[in-house]
Amino acid sequence: MAKIAIDPITRIEGHLRIEVEVDGGQVTDAWASSTMFRGIETILKGRDPRGAWLMTQRI
Amino acid sequence: MERESNNALSDVLAQKGISRRNFLKFCTAMTGALALPSVYTPRIVKALEEAPKRTPVVWLEFQDCAGCSESFLRASRPTAGEVILDVLSVDYHETIMAASGHLAEEAKKMTTDAGGHLVIVEGAIPLAEDGLHCCIGGRTAIDILEEATAKAAAVIAVGSCATFGGVPKASPNPTNAVGVMELVKNVPVLNLSGCPVNVVNLTATVVHFLTFGALPAMDDLGRPLFAHGALIHDNCERRGHFDKGEFVTAWGDEGHRNGWCLYQMGCKGPIAYHNCPTVRWNDGLNWPVGGGHGCIACSEPDFWDRSVYEPVAIQEVAPPASFPPAQAEPEAMSSGSAATVGAVAGLVVGAVGAAAVVGRGGSEDQAEDQAES
Repeated sequence: MAKIAIDPITRIEGHLRIEVEVDGGQVTDAWASSTMFRGIETILKGRDPRGAWLMTQRI
Repeated sequence: MERESNNALSDVLAQKGISRRNFLKFCTAMTGALALPSVYTPRIVKALEEAPKRTPVVWLEFQDCAGCSESFLRASRPTAGEVILDVLSVDYHETIMAASGHLAEEAKKMTTDAGGHLVIVEGAIPLAEDGLHCCIGGRTAIDILEEATAKAAAVIAVGSCATFGGVPKASPNPTNAVGVMELVKNVPVLNLSGCPVNVVNLTATVVHFLTFGALPAMDDLGRPLFAHGALIHDNCERRGHFDKGEFVTAWGDEGHRNGWCLYQMGCKGPIAYHNCPTVRWNDGLNWPVGGGHGCIACSEPDFWDRSVYEPVAIQEVAPPASFPPAQAEPEAMSSGSAATVGAVAGLVVGAVGAAAVVGRGGSEDQAEDQAES
């Protein structure tokens, strides 16, 4: 059984890591991790809702 | 360095069907964007044509939205973005590179170990919890930035996040995000702020670097003066309406339909230093204020913590305590004093607009009285 990690996954927007477990040529398990966090939900709490669209469009 | 014939710009341009005339037009436009006199155009032409070797570039993305990458790649005319991509060798850019995983990381390491490269950074760097909020290839953004910039010729931070922290740094800054200049001290860092960065300014900065071998002159926030030397308010196409006291007071009202000043709707033009009114966006098609929404001052630090729709205090056009005489004897007027009178007249007009904002009626009359005295 082998474990393969591809990090970074390129040609996408954002940061992504994929790990797969391979057994006899078959993928037996896989994990996807988003490896970047900004906390935009936390930042938006308590803000003037009229300005929220400006921030969420920058996700 | 030896000139690599397969990288010679003229060959690449010919391959792409870009005529010499278009190339010269591009160089002229760049001279203008850099606010240089036209005599510099031949120097820029020469520098781009004789670039001995394509300058390697590593484009790092951290806490970003890829909006600055989009802005850079969306240069629709073949001349602007492509000419620059042809004189650069973009060895690493997560969003556009073919390699992935460890192959991508190896390509980056080869370039950064060799040194003399340009590093362009997009996105903020989180410091909280030893930087684990942004990891690429199993390493933190802090580590990656340190390694990539150690032997770099220069660092260009693009967009609000890489320059001043941007969205991630907005209150309460959950990940303790910072901009590049907080971390990189051993290499010159230029801040091209804006949300996103304007492709014209990034291209012009690269052209300046290739022509003069150095970053352009900067303000006290590390921003190039050619792009961030003037207030949006002073070059705004709606400024005439401000000076006349004609303001939009509700979305869709008569003033809004007629393109009046957006100051009372929260426009941050009076505090934002950026060249949007002149270079605009989408190949010069339009810009936010032209589209009917106020400026949000995205070129300024911590703009996300300002209320988007509350007017800002105007400082730059506050009327002085007294005015020198506006009427002088023409024969006694030197060219210098003529300029002074012109500037004073401009201030008076600005004062009328400012006073009209403060309170229509009394203070406006007062400002006019001062102007007449």
